[in-house]
Amino acid sequence: MTVRMDSDAQHIEVHKFYGGAVAVVCFLALVIQAFLNKFSTHFQLLELPLLVVVYFGLSRRNSASGLLLGTAVGLLQDGISHTPIGLYGIAKGFIGYIASSVGARLDTEHPISRFILMFLFFHIHQIVLAITIHLLLARPEPFFSIPLLIASLVNSAVAVFLFAGLDRLRR
Amino acid sequence: MDVPSRNRPFVLLVAVILAQVLLLAFQIKRGQDVRLIRVWSAELLTPPQRAGTFVISKIDSTWFGYIDLRHTRAENRQLTTEVGLLRLKNEQLEGQAAEAGRLAKLLGFRQANSSVPTVAAEVIGASADSNSQTIFINRGASDGLRRNMAVVTPDGVVGKIFEVLPHMAQVLLVTDKESGVGALLANTRTHGVVKGTGDPLLWMDYVTAGEKVPVGEEILTSGEDRIFPKDLPVGTVVSMKPGSPIQTIKVKPAAHLDRLEEVLVLLTEQSLKARESDAAAGSAAPETKSPSDKAQGRAAKIPKSAVTTKNTAGATKNAAPATNHAKTPVKTPAPLVKKPAAAAKPGGTSPAGARR
Repeated sequence: MTVRMDSDAQHIEVHKFYGGAVAVVCFLALVIQAFLNKFSTHFQLLELPLLVVVYFGLSRRNSASGLLLGTAVGLLQDGISHTPIGLYGIAKGFIGYIASSVGARLDTEHPISRFILMFLFFHIHQIVLAITIHLLLARPEPFFSIPLLIASLVNSAVAVFLFAGLDRLRR
Repeated sequence: MDVPSRNRPFVLLVAVILAQVLLLAFQIKRGQDVRLIRVWSAELLTPPQRAGTFVISKIDSTWFGYIDLRHTRAENRQLTTEVGLLRLKNEQLEGQAAEAGRLAKLLGFRQANSSVPTVAAEVIGASADSNSQTIFINRGASDGLRRNMAVVTPDGVVGKIFEVLPHMAQVLLVTDKESGVGALLANTRTHGVVKGTGDPLLWMDYVTAGEKVPVGEEILTSGEDRIFPKDLPVGTVVSMKPGSPIQTIKVKPAAHLDRLEEVLVLLTEQSLKARESDAAAGSAAPETKSPSDKAQGRAAKIPKSAVTTKNTAGATKNAAPATNHAKTPVKTPAPLVKKPAAAAKPGGTSPAGARR
């Protein structure tokens, strides 16, 4: 279901999802991420929690809910990772906020725009992560690298298909 | 706080990120295993604390250094007075300590030569005549002093009794032109006579040109003048000028003649004649045992310390009034103390001072 809202003389489409869909998808993203990493290191290129945060951020187009969703997913990811609690929480919360803000202004339904947006959000996520690690942990963390570039392309490609599948959960 | 609805998501973003940063700070440890939150807290709170401490210390120093000085002037006056009194007291104590040191030295000398009857005396004045080197001591005939008795300090020879009054005596210093002491060079045992020149330095006469006299050699009494016991320090050689047939040897007195305050008078006046007769008597008359024998024993005990002295110009200082000075009882029986008239040996080596 698409809801049109008049806000600042702009028409914003806000998508609604089936009850519990957001929570279940996020939960599954985390579980699958952990599950896949168990089998092969190649799956470490995937950032499923980031993909779902970006998708729901772009779809719901509410900064507050995007922020909170990103933070919640990030904190859960921290919880199952060997990182200080809050590291991914900050990065994903920020991405959720940005994605919600961008979703209200750009066309996020086209596959190419989704690919490009996902590519950008991946690197923004990495930059925020690197800054946080630099400042708080005082550890070197690359802002950009070839493996990161490959990962961003892979995630962007996956996002195109994943987002199309997730679109089916909309009411 | 009323936040515009448009900015609420941004405020929320900041709040959420801040909360997570704090959460991280609680977990992360830096350097010395200190949690980041503790480091931040310290860095956050320390500057204001420092600033506060700085301000308070400035206020404190301003108050106590400038404002709260109402009684300082009076206190300063009082303290200045106290400092003056304490300085005075300190000087008195230093004087007493120095006096005690000198007296201890004299006592040590007397104990080391306990067989020699001595009288301790204080110097009470000096000669008014700049041409004569004499001092006055607070002992006289009533204390057993006679003419030509030797006057010494632990450092060395001072002079001899020149005039005796009932309660004081005049001492002719070895630096006086009329003085002379039978002396010998400590190492070569070469005999001669040390004479006063009226100057701080003495000179040694009758040392022939062939004798080697190194500078710094110690000169001791020879005992031949029958005034000073043998081997008392007289002085040290400071210069030597070869001459024919007699060398010119300048000697620095061993005793500190420019700062005499206490001296010892040796009550050992005896004649060679008496000594010889005593020697002849031998052990038959122990009560009249020759003091010269004692002197011989004593001479061995007297330390041959090399003494350096300062200029003897202005030879003596006036001592403090004689109040608590030590007096040694005359240990030698009266008959052993002979008159100087009887002490002169005809034809003997007699220094000029002794002849006076």
